[in-house]
Amino acid sequence: MFLEIKDLSVKIENKNILKSLNLNINKGEVHAIMGPNGSGKSTLANVLAGKEDYEILNGRINFKDNDLFDLNIEERAQEGMFLAFQYPVEIPGVNITPFLHSAINSKRKRMNEEEIDNLSFAKLLKSKAMDLGINIDMLKRSVNTGFSGGEKKRYEILQMSILNPDLAILDETDSGLDIDALKIVTDGVNKLKTKDNSFLIITHYQKLLDYIKPDYVHVMVNGSIVKSGGSEIAAEIEKDGFQKFQ
Amino acid sequence: MNIQDNYLKNKKNIFFSENKDIETHREKLINIFENDRFDKKNNESLKNINLKNFIDFKYKYLISEETSVINNNHENNYSIVSVNGQCSSFKDDKIEITKILDEDYNDFSKNNTIENNDHFVNLNSLFLNSGFKIIIKKNNNIKIKISNIVTDDDLTIFQKNNYICEEGSSLNLIEEYENKNNSTSNILNVIKLEKNSHLNHFLIQDNSANHNLIITTHSSCKKDTTYTQKVYNFSEGHVRNFHYSELLEANSEADLQGIFFLKDNNTSNNKTFVKHLAEDCKSNQVYKGILNDRSKATYFSNTHVDQVAQKTEGYQLSKGILLSDNASYFSKPELKIYADDVKCSHGSTIGPIDENAIFYLRSRGMSKIAATKILISSFINEELSSIDNEQMSELIQKKLVRYLSKVK
Repeated sequence: MFLEIKDLSVKIENKNILKSLNLNINKGEVHAIMGPNGSGKSTLANVLAGKEDYEILNGRINFKDNDLFDLNIEERAQEGMFLAFQYPVEIPGVNITPFLHSAINSKRKRMNEEEIDNLSFAKLLKSKAMDLGINIDMLKRSVNTGFSGGEKKRYEILQMSILNPDLAILDETDSGLDIDALKIVTDGVNKLKTKDNSFLIITHYQKLLDYIKPDYVHVMVNGSIVKSGGSEIAAEIEKDGFQKFQ
Repeated sequence: MNIQDNYLKNKKNIFFSENKDIETHREKLINIFENDRFDKKNNESLKNINLKNFIDFKYKYLISEETSVINNNHENNYSIVSVNGQCSSFKDDKIEITKILDEDYNDFSKNNTIENNDHFVNLNSLFLNSGFKIIIKKNNNIKIKISNIVTDDDLTIFQKNNYICEEGSSLNLIEEYENKNNSTSNILNVIKLEKNSHLNHFLIQDNSANHNLIITTHSSCKKDTTYTQKVYNFSEGHVRNFHYSELLEANSEADLQGIFFLKDNNTSNNKTFVKHLAEDCKSNQVYKGILNDRSKATYFSNTHVDQVAQKTEGYQLSKGILLSDNASYFSKPELKIYADDVKCSHGSTIGPIDENAIFYLRSRGMSKIAATKILISSFINEELSSIDNEQMSELIQKKLVRYLSKVK
């Protein structure tokens, strides 16, 4: 199993958010989690990425034969986990290019691969940016600083395509995107899909799933997955909402 | 020893003690200390320090012969080594360096408004034992680098420097303070900018833990002048940087910037006080601090806009990063506006490093310590990237790397 979440319960500030959650993802699969506001979708994404604000009450997570709780935030990233943030943080003064260069080399170092030099990285970054319709001038700016909502999401996908993760978690990447931007972003994701990597897509709406076809759709309500199935569930939610699952 | 006895005992070594006018003025200052007639609660010069340690001191001063002034033969480039506050005399067609004179003392003491409230300026006037005057002659564009050296332990240096930029002149002034002696330097820089002159003033402070550095600058700007001060404080000992600025005539500008990097039990006191006394003037004050361990800092900024100073622009900003729960930074911005057509603002933000930004960077594979360091560097990136002197920029970067190497 590529990612196995078993009986996971999590709380924050005395509030139980995830309750005995189970989820299995195999290599090469695309899973979508849909759920109403406050159902715990972003908490799951943050717990997977290693955010330290949460208290793990119960359960375990295995990722690529590692106990995920034995790995800190950066080790999870270096092992191939990537979270595309719902609200990417603006970091003035940290330039995009050296930051991403340092990020890719930290991963290569862990994998005992040769570090990528400045020139090769610049070429890689330029070509990936062009694929995503990102203006090269944007790469001279600080991380997410002064970006529009759409630019931030596109930049998340650019980072994903550079880091080429084994498991990418997209936390409401579609929110705040117009239809053209949504198409560019989802095209970027589809280009990255191979039989060796997996995706966990968190969304409220079926629209995103018109562009990225999931193998499985899960409905999350009140911290637990209450129903799993294929794309037909997304269509069901689009038609009737989440009410019937609550 | 009380302050009067200390003064009388060392009078023969103190500048201008034979001058009756100055003697009378000093008696007034002694009275202030002796009668304890000062506001202790609201006095910025007393924060984070024990004034008693600075008043009840053992006076010691040595004159050194090792001072030098070198014209580097590069175009208008001068290097000065000031030892124990003294500087050799020098004269060419562009600059003139002399000892400080009675009239310079009187000129400052009679005209300034900061004495009585600022005890370190008062101590400087009382125990003055060194200093120099530099005149940049009309229409010259000069670069001066001053290395301030203290030769021995236990020295108490009270130094007054006068800088006069004559009409149409420009001065790029770099001052370095890198001392390892167990000494105290109390320095007052009095700066006068005549019409259409410009001064870029850099101060790099990197003293060891046992060296106290107290610097007070008083700048006065006439018509069409700009005064820029950039202070980089990497010292491990106590540093006080106070700046009093007067924009006397139209279209003058004061741009005051300070960055301090503190750790251990270090303290740093900072103050900027800008008086807008004419129309169409501009001031900008930006102070940033990074504080680790149990270090403490204060920053008081005060912009006073006189009723005649219409079309004033006055901006203040202070920011601080606390790397430890035990570090503290007290910031108090104040605006006093008596004119009605002005643009002024002030702001202050102090807090720990942004945990969301740390999480974001770590989620891309960067270690926590690397993420912390990159965020500290980014916090001051704007100020560091605005340094237009390559040599200075490299020096500051090197000192920043040294500071960051101690951040755990």
